[in-house]
Parts: sequence; structure tokens; C-alpha cells
Amino acid sequence: MTGFVNDLGALIGALVVFNLSLTAAAVAIALPIACLFAVARLSRRPLVYYPVTAYVNVLRSSPLLMIMFWAYYTGPMITGTPTSAYTAALVALAAFEVAYFTELVRAGLQSIASGQRDAALAVGLRPSQAMRLVILPQALRRMLPSLISQSIIAFQDSTIASVIGVSDIFATTNIISAREQRPIELYTALAVIFFILCYALSKLVRTIEARVNARTAGAS
Amino acid sequence: MQSLDWLLLFRAPYGERVVDAVLTTLELSLISWAFALIIGVVAGLSREAPAGAVRVVAAGFVETFRNVPLLVQLFFIYFVLPRILPLPLRQLLFHLGWEFVSAVITLSLYTGAKVAEHVRSGLNTVGLGVRHAAMSTGLTWLAAQRYVVGPLVLRTIVPGLTSEFVTVFKSSSLAMTIGVVETSYLTQQLGLQTFHWVEASTIGTLVYLLCAWSVAGFMSVVERFTYVPGLLRRGAAP
Repeated sequence: MTGFVNDLGALIGALVVFNLSLTAAAVAIALPIACLFAVARLSRRPLVYYPVTAYVNVLRSSPLLMIMFWAYYTGPMITGTPTSAYTAALVALAAFEVAYFTELVRAGLQSIASGQRDAALAVGLRPSQAMRLVILPQALRRMLPSLISQSIIAFQDSTIASVIGVSDIFATTNIISAREQRPIELYTALAVIFFILCYALSKLVRTIEARVNARTAGAS
Repeated sequence: MQSLDWLLLFRAPYGERVVDAVLTTLELSLISWAFALIIGVVAGLSREAPAGAVRVVAAGFVETFRNVPLLVQLFFIYFVLPRILPLPLRQLLFHLGWEFVSAVITLSLYTGAKVAEHVRSGLNTVGLGVRHAAMSTGLTWLAAQRYVVGPLVLRTIVPGLTSEFVTVFKSSSLAMTIGVVETSYLTQQLGLQTFHWVEASTIGTLVYLLCAWSVAGFMSVVERFTYVPGLLRRGAAP
């Protein structure tokens, strides 16, 4: 019984120290970059528009695993500076989420009526101020449910870091399962932990969604 | 850093292995996609079935497979499912290539659950009116799904299906963790054995990009032929 409690403790510990921290850091890094990229995706300047569009397209078409290989093996090979598995996983996950967040924020920006922009310009704001102070905040609020949903997917994807050697909850489960020869119990426990967390979060998303919809319906 | 050697990928012994691995990725993804479509349509339409038990089972299936990471599902099916079999059967299973089969099962169920969500939102697009009209002509619920609702829903969700189709190829990369020798597996092997990481990861990434772009091209043709007249087409909005 104490063995079981210890093992469960080890799983939860790995979940917090690796999976949750990895996801939180990746989202925190990715979101500001994605806001810049989303504006760039709507830009008329080809030198801004095409590189960012290419980035989004390529990253969204590659498996996260392949991006982790680039960050952990290929990148350090080129630069000659070895990277820890955790840093590589963080860079890969953040780079991957930038591509997904960019498309979400862009959709949000496009859903804000152009009247908002005209009004902001009419009161004397510069175009960059109109974007930063008027349009972007509204777009982010409207896209909040989608952004959280995507973050839940990022949380699930953080288990892929175990492939390049991060001792996250998945790697920890594999080790304990091999030691105890109890794959049924351990993988069931792992599935249940993820199910409870992700299901609760997705319910939260529905609540926020209903609230955002009610507000936008009232505003228009 | 050592000098680049692109021909390495085409020389023996690697050339043959690269081709095999790419073919495995294609097989794995396409077979899983075929099953996922069937599972997704059945589960998605079942979300609004007249029998409550069917609705509950469909909802349970979708929520389970959407809320557990694919890697966990893969290991669960690969390690846990054979445990219910007696040992000789289990050994036979592993002898016959259980890695590939369990990867197909997992990818089909995982992608099927996501397709089911698209089908459900397609039901909303099609609307209650059409469904009631179909039933009021005297069709049973099943017949209405088969002849009226199902085909209409499928035609409205083609854009959503495109992204899931692309995702199958990306998801199939995780099969390397249970030992399926597909593109990602080979990329890592090549890199670890030869240290030609730049060449290995470039070819690996290119394979997935080509798959994604081919699928997107194919599906845009499908979209053009299946769009429902009267519904908004992509690009019709300002």
C-alpha cells in the first residue's frame, strides 16, 4: 500500500514538475509571439506575410515529435552547443504552439468588425495603437475558449517529451510499470489522471464559451 | 560538425530502409484514416440516436479518447489489451506484428473520436428541420441517417475532415514508441547510427510535409465536388 502511495506520488510529482511546467512555460512563450505573428498574417507587406505564413504552414504540417528531434538532436548539432532534453522539449512545444495560436488569434482578429478599427482611428489612435489597445484585447477575449482548448491539447502533447528523454509522467509510468510488472494498473491510472484533468478543463472551456457568447450577443 | 552527405539517404543499407519506413507511414495512416471515418460517422450520428443507451456509449467513447493523450492510449492498447488473452495467443499476436496492428487500432479510435465531434457539429449545421423532414416521410431513424442526414453532414464537414486527415499522418509518428519502423523511427535510427542528423531530420520532416500538402490538395478537390449548394463556401465570407 505504501508502495502504491509512493508510486502515485512519483507520478503526480512528475506531472507537476515536467508536464504542467512545460505546458505553462510553452503557452506563456508562444502566446505573445503568436499575437505578433497573427498581425503579420494580416499584413499587406509580402516580406512580413510570406515568411510567417510559411512558418505556420510548415510547423502545422509536421509532427511535434519531428520538431523535438530538430530541437534536441539537429539544432545542437549545427550550433555545437548541447541542450538539455527539457529545454529542447520546451523550445519545440513553444514553436509548435506558436503556429496553432497564430491561426486562432488571426481568426479572432478577423472576427472583430472593421468598424472597431475605423472608430479607433477616428478618435486619433495610430494603427498600431488601434491594434494593440482596441482590436487585440477583444480578439483575445473572444478566442479565449479556443486558446484554452489548444492549451489542453498542448498539455496532452507534453507527454511526447518523454521520447527525447524528459522524465515526465509518461516516462515515470513506464519505469514503474516495468519494475512492478503491472502495466494494467499503471496505464489505467495514467489514463484516469489525464482524463480527470482534461475533462474538467474542457468543461471549464464550455462555461467560458457560454459566457463569452452571451456577452458578444448582448453587445451587438 | 561533419560535412553533409545527402547521398547517404539513398545508398545501401539506408536507401531501402528509408523507402520501407515511408511506405509504413503511408500504410499506417491511410488504413487508420479509413477506419476512423467509419468509427467517427457512426459515433457522431449516435450522439443524437433515439436510444439513450447508444447516446451514452457514444459520448463516453468520444470523451475518453479526446481527453487522454495519444501516447497513453497507444501504450494502453499495446501493453494492456494482450493481457486479457492466454499466453500462447498473446505470443502469436506479437509474432504477427502486434506493433503495427495496435497502432492502427489506437489511431483509428483516437481519430474516430475527433471525426465524431466534427460530425456532431455538422448535425447542427444541417439543422433539425432536415432531420425531422426525413423522419416525417416515413423513414426510420436509421434510414434517415443513411440516406439523408449522413450524406449531408459528411458534405458539410469536409474542411474539418481535411485537418483530421492531415493530423493522422502526424499522429502516426508516435507509433515509433512501440517499435513500428516508420519515418520518425528511421529518422532517429539514422541520426543515432550515423550522426548525420541534418540529413535525417530534413528527409523525415519533408516526408510529413509532402503527405500533409498532398492531403490538403486532394481534399480541396473533394471539397469542390461535394459542397452543398446554398451553404457558404470557404472564401465566401468577406
